[in-house]
Amino acid sequence: MSLNIDSIAGAFYGYVPFGDIVFYFTEFSLIGFIIALFFTLVVYLTKPEKQLESQIGDFGDKLNYVSLEELKIRRLMAIICGICTAFAMLTGDLFDYALFLAVIGIANMGIVSAVKKEGVLSAAFYYGIIAMISTLPLFGASALILAKTGTLSILELAKNSHDLLFQKIIYAVGMVGETGIAPFYAAKAEMFRAPGAPYILMIHLSSLLIIVRTVEIMLNIH
Amino acid sequence: MDIVSYMFSKSIFVGIVVGILSLYAISRQKSDLHTLLLTDLVECAMLVIIAAIGTDLAEALILPGLVVGLAEFLAVSEILVYRNEMRKSNLSNNKKLRLFEEFLAKEEVYVNSVNFNKMEIIYSAPKFIGFILVLYGAFLTGFTGGAIMASGLLFYLLSQGAIGNGVSLKDIKHSWEAISGFSGIMWAFWILLGFAGFFLFPEHYLFFLLIAGCALALKVGSKLGLIGSLRIRS
Repeated sequence: MSLNIDSIAGAFYGYVPFGDIVFYFTEFSLIGFIIALFFTLVVYLTKPEKQLESQIGDFGDKLNYVSLEELKIRRLMAIICGICTAFAMLTGDLFDYALFLAVIGIANMGIVSAVKKEGVLSAAFYYGIIAMISTLPLFGASALILAKTGTLSILELAKNSHDLLFQKIIYAVGMVGETGIAPFYAAKAEMFRAPGAPYILMIHLSSLLIIVRTVEIMLNIH
Repeated sequence: MDIVSYMFSKSIFVGIVVGILSLYAISRQKSDLHTLLLTDLVECAMLVIIAAIGTDLAEALILPGLVVGLAEFLAVSEILVYRNEMRKSNLSNNKKLRLFEEFLAKEEVYVNSVNFNKMEIIYSAPKFIGFILVLYGAFLTGFTGGAIMASGLLFYLLSQGAIGNGVSLKDIKHSWEAISGFSGIMWAFWILLGFAGFFLFPEHYLFFLLIAGCALALKVGSKLGLIGSLRIRS
């Protein structure tokens, strides 16, 4: 049985012929692209939520809010994250995809670390360590695929069978470390109880879309 | 076999060994700074693996890999510096740490500065709703219309009382007299003009029906509206 790119990603609509880095459009990638751009727009337009922490007795209720300075950097990071997610949906180059993942990782770190609390900064630091470590499997796997097949283009790799199981496993491990675990670190820092909801949700959205897209790529190349 | 092909598998092996050894070293580390430096070593191992391919394309790939790695390194080191500053300032505050401190701590109270009476809707909504109800009651006419108008007036007056915006006693006396007088006049319109007109001039029944209906609506509305001003007075 031979899988081709149409059967998994839907109808193939064409590609943007800009040199080596080819963006291609399928049903799957277009839907992912539109979702990511839409939520980027939502993040740009919405104001962050404020929270009123009520406490028992007369311990005093506390109003949490995002200061303007913090809002600006977090919104910028969330928008960068959204745009990188959107174009990671379209890219047809494995190494380009890995670079997008790395930039999303940095943007996630920025979103998390804008909160000036020690626990949150600690979680951002450990997430950064994990993201840096997982550049080894991510870029290493794309290098190994390049060494074995001589190309990084998903469109080329989808044509013939290359027996890439081991490389694909390493690549998926790298993806998990780079972006997939970001929501866990956001949860660890109790970011959901921190104010400023839409920016945190961008971490989740990008992570979700990237995981789905990676599965699609891993099924397409073989 | 050229030198690149000969060295490829060995270079990959070296890169992976360096990576795994660095991971082991990271797991043994206590200092965050050393962890960070050893993580950079893992990135160097990544560059070794890319460089092992030894083609033009690999050369083009090393540069973005290096840049991304450095960017992450800078971001993480910035976070580390900031966190250490914050930890130091927290320690210099000499806070006493206790069990379940976050549940017991008394934080600064912000909520008292939020003035809920300033909410615009409290002032604008009763007028609007009362106006709509009075209009709808006037449109309905008759006993039902009067009841609806009265509920609009009641709602308005009660909400004014709830805001603490109640009218003074003198005003209430005035309005009480005015409303009851108005109600009496409307009663006269309803019974004397409208009802009697039915029997005296049956050929103009529509005219008198309208008079009776509108007068009844205004009468019931004003009469029940008195309850609202009664409530304010008490």
